[in-house]
Amino acid sequence: MEAQGGAPAVVERDGRRLMKINMGPQHPSTHGVLRLIVTLDGEVVVGVEPDIGFLHRNFEKIVEGWSYPGIVPFSDRNDYLGAITNEVAVCLAIERLAQIEVPPRAVYLRVLFCELQRILSHILFYGTFGLDLGAFSPFMYAFREREWGYTLMEKATGARMLYAYNRIGGLRNDLPDEWFADLEKFLVFMERQAWPEYMGLLIENEIFRERTIGVGKLTPEQAIAWGASGPVLRSTGVAWDLRKAAPYLGYERFEFDVPVGKNGDTYDSAMVRMLEIKESIRIIRQVLKMLPDGPVLARVRPNLRPRAGEYYSRVESPRGEVGVYLVSDGSARPYRLKWRAPSFCHLQLVPAMGGGGKVADLIAAVGSLDVIMGEVDR
Amino acid sequence: MALWDRVWQTGKSMVVGHAITMREMLHKPVTVRYPEEKPPFERGSRSVPVLKVNEESGRLNCVSCGLCERACPPSCIEITQAMDEKGRKKPWPETFQLDLSHCMVCNLCVEACPFDALEMADVVELGSYQVQDLILQKGQLAEIWKTSRALRVAGGERL
Repeated sequence: MEAQGGAPAVVERDGRRLMKINMGPQHPSTHGVLRLIVTLDGEVVVGVEPDIGFLHRNFEKIVEGWSYPGIVPFSDRNDYLGAITNEVAVCLAIERLAQIEVPPRAVYLRVLFCELQRILSHILFYGTFGLDLGAFSPFMYAFREREWGYTLMEKATGARMLYAYNRIGGLRNDLPDEWFADLEKFLVFMERQAWPEYMGLLIENEIFRERTIGVGKLTPEQAIAWGASGPVLRSTGVAWDLRKAAPYLGYERFEFDVPVGKNGDTYDSAMVRMLEIKESIRIIRQVLKMLPDGPVLARVRPNLRPRAGEYYSRVESPRGEVGVYLVSDGSARPYRLKWRAPSFCHLQLVPAMGGGGKVADLIAAVGSLDVIMGEVDR
Repeated sequence: MALWDRVWQTGKSMVVGHAITMREMLHKPVTVRYPEEKPPFERGSRSVPVLKVNEESGRLNCVSCGLCERACPPSCIEITQAMDEKGRKKPWPETFQLDLSHCMVCNLCVEACPFDALEMADVVELGSYQVQDLILQKGQLAEIWKTSRALRVAGGERL
């Protein structure tokens, strides 16, 4: 029995017999192919070491050989639960460098889809987090709405998960009027029935509260030092949201609050996401009111050559700050594209959050970070 | 007092949780028994690009211009132009290969085609045990097009 590189599974330290155990890469609660090398003293976690790279797709190098329009659908595969936000991040960078004006209707629809994507991603977080903690039925309830939401996405974009919907200069196609009526039905159901059910089934449940309050605590200083962003950072009480702090896509036009937690534990992290679902519904309602008419796609040369230069675009994905650092040398292919993935930074928090607790608390800590391995390994 | 509070909280959680699940029992199931019954595709949902056949002439619309080949980001389309015996180019493809194992269903080839020769099919059950079987030739692609609905729409509008 060996844990890693011939290291013995049992190690002696300070007169205590510690066990080194692999959690993953195929463990159901590690959210994809994440391997944690856990050092245990009985049931207490002494050390955690995340081991990544099982889902490496070579995104950054491959796109150096591709022309710009092809990068957008490929970027879906990074954070596959926040595909639209990835596309928007890439498109914003390319449009900025190529100086393309996006039609206003496309900008508003991008906001709408980003927020719908955030709702769907947080619904899945709710389901899987409950599953991690041993609550199975919330998962089924979460998937009831998730299927509905993905059917809405399929009607609009033609695909359920990897949409390839954004184009450089706007969106691929406009939406029919009846789609908006369907969306309104979905939002009303989410607000009136699904959200209270989620709270009653899991978040307000005493067992869940016992399992999460005070578990996997983070201080604001720790979170900032490790580069955390998104709900993980906001759960510690830092009101940092790129939609407010550095508005893109005209987010300053919309009225919404940034929910923050107090203690930085896993309960706050889940609570922040649940409240964000409500805020996203609020933003979508405002988009529907303000949505202008007009085209959704600007005219773009098929052989696109942005001017030489560099630009870093960042958007608030469901998981945190997705950044695209794009360097162009004026040719039809990018010179370099660096992808800043929030999950990659969050994974470094696992030792800080899970160390010293029980194994079950480590699961709660990993689950509350909501890491997507497709984004970590790229 | 704290003990009573916890007892109250626990009891409340149990009642609320059971009320929600019991209420759900009165509803119809939302799941579909997949292989036996298949949910319908939404209008405009897409799987893989296939070749359209001209209804009148029975030939492919494709003139082998190679624009889709160039637009395809993972280069999964391979076309060779047809030639006559004198070496002159003919406006149809000699071979048209699509590697399904590389295709990422992005629709860029359909948008690049000026001759309305490609269309996204709504056939999803294309799995196979051999990677070689995933490389489809033009005849197979036209065959898939015949069995799938016309779907060059998304969101109800023609692109």
